[in-house]
Amino acid sequence: MGQYSTGYGAGQNDYGVGLDDYGRAPGAAASYGARRGGPPVVSFENVSKQYGSLRAVDGLTLDLRQGETVALLGPNGAGKSTSLDMLLALRKPTSGRIEVFGSDPYHAVKSGLMGAMLQSGGLMPEVTVRELVTLVTKFHPKPEPVQTTLKRAGIAAFADQRVDRLSGGQTQRVRFALAICGQSELIVLDEPTTAMDVETRRLFWASMKEEVAGGRTLLFATHYLEEADQAADRILVINRGRLLADGTPAEIKARAGARRLSFRLDRVDEPFLLGLPGLVNLEVRHDLVQIQSSDSDATLYAVLDAGYRPREIEVASLGLEQAFLAITAEDDANATNATSATTHAGETI
Amino acid sequence: MSGTLALAKAEISRLRRNKRYLIFTVALPVMFYLIFGKTHAKGYQVSFAAFYMVGMASFGAFSGAFNNNAMRISQERKDGWIRQLRLTPLPANAYVVAKILASMATTVPSIVIVFLLGRFYGDVQLPVWKWIVCALAIWIGTLIFAALAVAVGYKLNPDSVQPVAMVVYFFFSIFGGLWFPLSGTLQKFGEFTPTYQVVKISTDVIGQGSAALVNVIGVVVWFVIFVGLATLAVRSTAETV
Repeated sequence: MGQYSTGYGAGQNDYGVGLDDYGRAPGAAASYGARRGGPPVVSFENVSKQYGSLRAVDGLTLDLRQGETVALLGPNGAGKSTSLDMLLALRKPTSGRIEVFGSDPYHAVKSGLMGAMLQSGGLMPEVTVRELVTLVTKFHPKPEPVQTTLKRAGIAAFADQRVDRLSGGQTQRVRFALAICGQSELIVLDEPTTAMDVETRRLFWASMKEEVAGGRTLLFATHYLEEADQAADRILVINRGRLLADGTPAEIKARAGARRLSFRLDRVDEPFLLGLPGLVNLEVRHDLVQIQSSDSDATLYAVLDAGYRPREIEVASLGLEQAFLAITAEDDANATNATSATTHAGETI
Repeated sequence: MSGTLALAKAEISRLRRNKRYLIFTVALPVMFYLIFGKTHAKGYQVSFAAFYMVGMASFGAFSGAFNNNAMRISQERKDGWIRQLRLTPLPANAYVVAKILASMATTVPSIVIVFLLGRFYGDVQLPVWKWIVCALAIWIGTLIFAALAVAVGYKLNPDSVQPVAMVVYFFFSIFGGLWFPLSGTLQKFGEFTPTYQVVKISTDVIGQGSAALVNVIGVVVWFVIFVGLATLAVRSTAETV
């Protein structure tokens, strides 16, 4: 990770969970789930959801393995919430199959294996925070002590306030408490930090890290790229209901061509340049060559090995944000230009 | 089941803190009884004091089971509390079951207090078994309105629940003969309401020592209709709650 200047300061290891288990070699675009043993905690098999003429989720296939912290990343309307709703048995897929811990989502929720927090979840009014958490704890077959939950969610300080008199950020933390008040194996969070300020967000991820340290699996949807980059050890990028990319943050960046390499050449040979290793995108303007590459070192060495002597060499890294934009923009372009039979590097993922 | 009971208990303690609820279920019927309870008249062949006791107890219990529940269910559905509950290990029907259990529990005081008032203020003298049968008839009758509350609460938004609740409240109070005994055309029409059936069962028990089968069947039919509506309403919102 160190070689990427993502602009987010701290290195991945300050946030990540069990990162050492993963090879993070840029360019490694093999299916991520295959690298982990054991049966999947969650599996989506060609899942689609149709609302009238709108296809909100379109043939989604993915596996989550035990202990992973996975970010579901996508622009608004990408199908994140619908996917989570189906995972949590709130909605039924139009087609396809979802399995959670080897059974159907409804059973997984009712046996307490999944704890979840949705943006749309409300709270019972007229009771105190402590009363509410105590109540929901009672629903769980394997409850956590109420005091522990209050502390972990950072809501002990206002536990005796009435639920309907809390601020947005406080309400969000109470909802989080309800998601973790049982000993669930899988925690699902939809945009968990939306109403939180920076400091609360930091505290939130610190406590989340504790939650998953014991081998729990975490799936969270977000549109904060920084959050996905720092907290997740695997990112699923979805757009228009389809899975576009699946890998570690480093892989996602590599997938979009994580580095931009530019130089000037007196004699430009485009077919040669297109054959360069790691090349994702090529732009040539007169003598200026701009390359997006998943492995800028290899790309550059290949240019030199061929006997070229490029001038004004510049190598800049792309952040996850640019990677994400590149991936979704490419997808949107494909959608609007569906007739073109262009092959894209992305389709190998 | 323990989770459902815990939720029902929480619902009851919420209701106990709610002043509006106490006014509608207890204060209003008590006040009306104090004002009109001693009227010298007859209602369905029993003393007005006895008729009005049954009427006011039913009035308090039914408005408690209906008004408040319909409003709350609709609001809690809108706020996403029902959705939140679906994410817990609580069984899918627990929310509705808890609401009905809670309203059954919280209509007891209105029945007991009005009956005590009838006995000691209205001087209604009955053998013990008649007290018990009348109280049970009213209590079980309120189940009908708890079911209607579920149907309305699931189907309508909070804004539209308010006027509908008012219509239901006045319609079943007046045409059910809770405020005054029905006679003539009004009775021919009102006979079909569930509130009328409940009151008639009780006054028949008080007057003759037995109830007419037709009224018991009436209560059951209404119950089946409202439970059916409630089931449809809950099912139709399964994906949007």
